[in-house]
Amino acid sequence: MTIEAAPEAAESAGRADAVSHKLVDCDVHNYPGSIAELEPFLSKRWCAYIAQSGFSGPPGPSYPKGFAMAARRDAWPSGGGKPGSDEAFSRAQLLDEWDIHLAILNPLYNTAQVHNLDFANALARAVNEWTAASWLDADPRWRGSLIVNIGDPHGAAEEIKCASQDDRFVQVLLLVRSHVPYGRREFRPIFAAAVDAGLPIGIHFGGHGSPSSACGWPSYYLEDHTNMAVAFQSQVVSLVCEGLFQEFADLRVVFIEGGFAWLPPLMWRLDKNYRGLRSEVPWLQKLPSEYIRAHCRATTQPMEEPENAKQLNAIIEMIGQEDFLMFATDYPHWDFDAPDRAIPSSLGSRLRAGIFSGNARTLYAF
Amino acid sequence: MPSKYDVGAEHDFVAGKLYRIELEKRAIVLFRRGERFFALRDVCPHQGARLSAGRLQGTTQSCLPGTPIIYHREDEIVVCPWHGWEFDAETGCSLADPRKARVRRYLTVVVSDRVIVDLA
Repeated sequence: MTIEAAPEAAESAGRADAVSHKLVDCDVHNYPGSIAELEPFLSKRWCAYIAQSGFSGPPGPSYPKGFAMAARRDAWPSGGGKPGSDEAFSRAQLLDEWDIHLAILNPLYNTAQVHNLDFANALARAVNEWTAASWLDADPRWRGSLIVNIGDPHGAAEEIKCASQDDRFVQVLLLVRSHVPYGRREFRPIFAAAVDAGLPIGIHFGGHGSPSSACGWPSYYLEDHTNMAVAFQSQVVSLVCEGLFQEFADLRVVFIEGGFAWLPPLMWRLDKNYRGLRSEVPWLQKLPSEYIRAHCRATTQPMEEPENAKQLNAIIEMIGQEDFLMFATDYPHWDFDAPDRAIPSSLGSRLRAGIFSGNARTLYAF
Repeated sequence: MPSKYDVGAEHDFVAGKLYRIELEKRAIVLFRRGERFFALRDVCPHQGARLSAGRLQGTTQSCLPGTPIIYHREDEIVVCPWHGWEFDAETGCSLADPRKARVRRYLTVVVSDRVIVDLA
């Protein structure tokens, strides 16, 4: 197969077909342009602390990205500022350009890298209030994920309780590379609060607590980016084995930007091991794969791209849950998935309709 | 319909910069390297990004791990603004997968200081 752009007419038809689905984009990133944008949402104590310390935000990534700010080169706002920092520019380049009906903002502001727990909690609240004021108020198509400080699970639970009063927040956001897996009991308050608030937990690419690899720090961003799927697998195993889905019947978890083609063999392996090792985790009442299908979903970007696109149908069949996938672009990041190109037509109209819109509308009750 | 189009004077184009032009409703990315002009279709074959929003740069020469990495072919490689796919200006082929991924290349010629692109 040769990868070559289709003729102009076919390009237009592909775009028209994609945007006809009343698209829901489950992964968009917004960033404060600077710490000054958060200061209206911080107390005088923290503003003074920022002024004195020179704090400008959590440290950046340990791997230099493919492009600056990990962003598409055409996503730098024409009026200046960083990609994802200008609501009007993002609205025009993403929502208007692709006729996206609803888009979930996932601010990747990693408060877990701030070890002062009180300050980290204050920053999480400030980011959430800033998202509401600067983005959700600006256009009704935006929805938000709440960020929380995983360094203080009880503080995080308080934040979920408080911020979820605004029903434009539709999810609690965690980053996949945590210092220990999220199934462990210290994180229970976060999951309990999310369930109480009726919000799914979204676990997104990134974080800083562990390498993406399961065997230490690799050398290159290419490895880090690819290995992230391994970190997601570890979280799936942890959430199942620690009994989260048995304890919280209403818990929903969305794996964002972690891929999905790895899921079938993981479920086979986990089910097989469970049959022999069940007594170690007696709180489980079902096969691990049953919990995963019932409680978990994944977003599509970065879409798996097998040479033969029809193999994706087999993967989805093996996952065994037709509404498992939800479309995402990851705008404004460099690995953006274009609606008209990322989801192959060979999946068929029913699956594509669910992926583009229906599955997310069901999960998030849009 | 003619296949050759005069797209401007030689001095209208700055070396190393990517220009988007449209000919017969076809989007083209045009650029020059010294005295030579190149024209490729302005659509990345991967996900449709405009290559003209990307960069013209060099690339790293194939080598063994641990040996010096040589950066060469300055301004001969078009890099897609989204996923960073690299395309050889001379051939339109992807550097990572030249047998399978390519962008269409059009012939260019300079005649009496005018830049001509041939869509044939």
